[in-house]
Amino acid sequence: MPNFDPATLDYVLLAPQFIVTGLIFVCLSLDLMVYGRGHRFIGWVAIMGLAVGIGAQASLWGVRSSFAGVLRVDDYSNLFNIIFMAAGIGVVFLSFDYAERFFTQPGEFYAFLVAGVLGMGLMAQAQELLTAYIALELLSFSSYVLVSYAKTNLKSNEAGLKYIILGSFSSAILLYGVSLLFGAVGSTMFPDIRAALDTSVATSAVAQIALLMITAGLAFKVAAVPFHMYSPDVYEGAPTPITAFLSVASKAAGFALTMRFVVMALWPLRGPVSDVIAFLAVLTMTLGNVVALRQTNMKRLMAYSSIAQAGYALIGVAAFFAVGDIAEQASRGVILQLIGYLFTTLAAFGGIIAFQVVADGRENISDLAGLSRRSPFAAFAIMSALFSLAGMPIFSGFMTKLFLFAPVARADLLWLVAIAVLNSTISLYYYLQVIRVMYSESPAGVTALNASAVAAIKAASIHHEEPVLVGAAVAHGSAHVPDNHGSSHGSHGAESLDDVAPASLGPWWRRRLTDGMEPELRFPIDPISIELRIGITLALAGIFALGLYPAPFVNLAYDASKALFAK
Amino acid sequence: MVPIEHIMVFTGALFCIGVYGVMARRNAVLVLMAIELMLNAVAINLVAFGTLVYPGQINGMVFAIFVVTIAAAELGLGLAIVLRVYRMRSSINVDDIDLMRW
Repeated sequence: MPNFDPATLDYVLLAPQFIVTGLIFVCLSLDLMVYGRGHRFIGWVAIMGLAVGIGAQASLWGVRSSFAGVLRVDDYSNLFNIIFMAAGIGVVFLSFDYAERFFTQPGEFYAFLVAGVLGMGLMAQAQELLTAYIALELLSFSSYVLVSYAKTNLKSNEAGLKYIILGSFSSAILLYGVSLLFGAVGSTMFPDIRAALDTSVATSAVAQIALLMITAGLAFKVAAVPFHMYSPDVYEGAPTPITAFLSVASKAAGFALTMRFVVMALWPLRGPVSDVIAFLAVLTMTLGNVVALRQTNMKRLMAYSSIAQAGYALIGVAAFFAVGDIAEQASRGVILQLIGYLFTTLAAFGGIIAFQVVADGRENISDLAGLSRRSPFAAFAIMSALFSLAGMPIFSGFMTKLFLFAPVARADLLWLVAIAVLNSTISLYYYLQVIRVMYSESPAGVTALNASAVAAIKAASIHHEEPVLVGAAVAHGSAHVPDNHGSSHGSHGAESLDDVAPASLGPWWRRRLTDGMEPELRFPIDPISIELRIGITLALAGIFALGLYPAPFVNLAYDASKALFAK
Repeated sequence: MVPIEHIMVFTGALFCIGVYGVMARRNAVLVLMAIELMLNAVAINLVAFGTLVYPGQINGMVFAIFVVTIAAAELGLGLAIVLRVYRMRSSINVDDIDLMRW
């Protein structure tokens, strides 16, 4: 740690972080003053504060400096800070309804969320190992609290316990590595480590064990196989907005730190580092995709899909040591992939939350049956997100994968790209499976009802041909629907009841969607609150903006990559 | 003066005992204590390197203070979550906590 005089430090460089820190305390103290639905006000304050933070961070664009030598402020950390604050805003938008429905004390929730955003931002700025560790713990501690925030939910408790045990275990391993590296090098600054690794220190056993342990700790943070075991359980048990937060922001923060560490500190070891990352990438995407094929729980499916997506991003990191500007393009690809994944995940989880809030928190894929009729907007959001994850054109996934795979192929890692493309094809299966369930299946419990209703109608029409009796049969069938909020809202016998249903009202597209439903079940069906609607719309706008006109995002990511590789 | 190798063997052993505790213990509180052992090994390591290998610096000691603080915060948070789990299921045996697997 260099000597410095507090009076000469340039505090303006950290203005956005000060704003976010202040926001934590504002949210906490507001929680003392509001009650009931007042937590929505705290949420809006958090959104405004983070928006101001984004503005402050954007005003530092182009700066290339460091704070006391330990926090680097350049376009790379600026862009990542903006990504994290945007992710925070998105997650707050998704949280309103969920918090109101499932939490006993929704107010403090937002403060912890903002604290997590601060930790992630500092992780992206750190260029010193202990600072990076403290930032990482700030993020981890907020995540532990947030994961177990649904206090009376057994799954949430279990996820929290698993997360804190495995999380602190992995961070203890990382920290032991840091202490050994400090012993071998005498400093924990990234440039000093790099200088030391150029000498004979690189071959000493202590330094090698230290780097191995640090790699394990960072791989845990990005949930790379074989350090992923915690993530499906944690993602499944956590409150759904937090699942989105962890899979998008926490993972991106892990990447931000890993990329900085690899480029600034590990450059002299480029051969072995590149091999290790390529190896982890192959394991990560293959296992993530193959295990995802068997999942029946939507959140668990998204967890494995998130592992697979981290695998794609890792192949970009493996190409960081290529000659010329290929490395910069690879890093641009990784950053774009993370941005695209942010929009995609927020849209997917927005749709899932819209469903869960009315469906009593159910989360199996089969529960989503008929979602396109019950809640077309949520179904469309999930569908766009899944197509984007599968890499379809016009969605962001196609563009980001293109920008990610192309430089890797040019860096003589064509075999890695081949495996990644193969994995994308596998992933298409389980993404399309979910879309099929949402768009072409009837809600659970309705099939049996249809059978009995059709039988009743046939019997009625043969023997009596009296509409009154038909109506009675249908009403009788309806009484058999299990009394769970979601499924009783579905389509009731699309084809079989056509002749008995009264003429549909409304425009043709609405009639298409509601034909065959009983009149009282017609549009609009599942209510979505305005906040959730804004969140999903913003995420969808991001997906299509990145998919159709990626130029602005590409330029931002390219500036960030240049800052990352700057000497 | 104790040679640095002895201290490294000591902290290595302490760290491994901690890892063994995390793997073998079934009680969640004891698992958290095993994690504390690992963090203590780190703190001793940092102080030892700071005083014996790089005597001019105070960095090692400063790092150790941070590590001890974070370890305390981690334990506090962990115990809170363990308490919550105990209230919900009347057990803190990590083998019983198996609602979710694969």
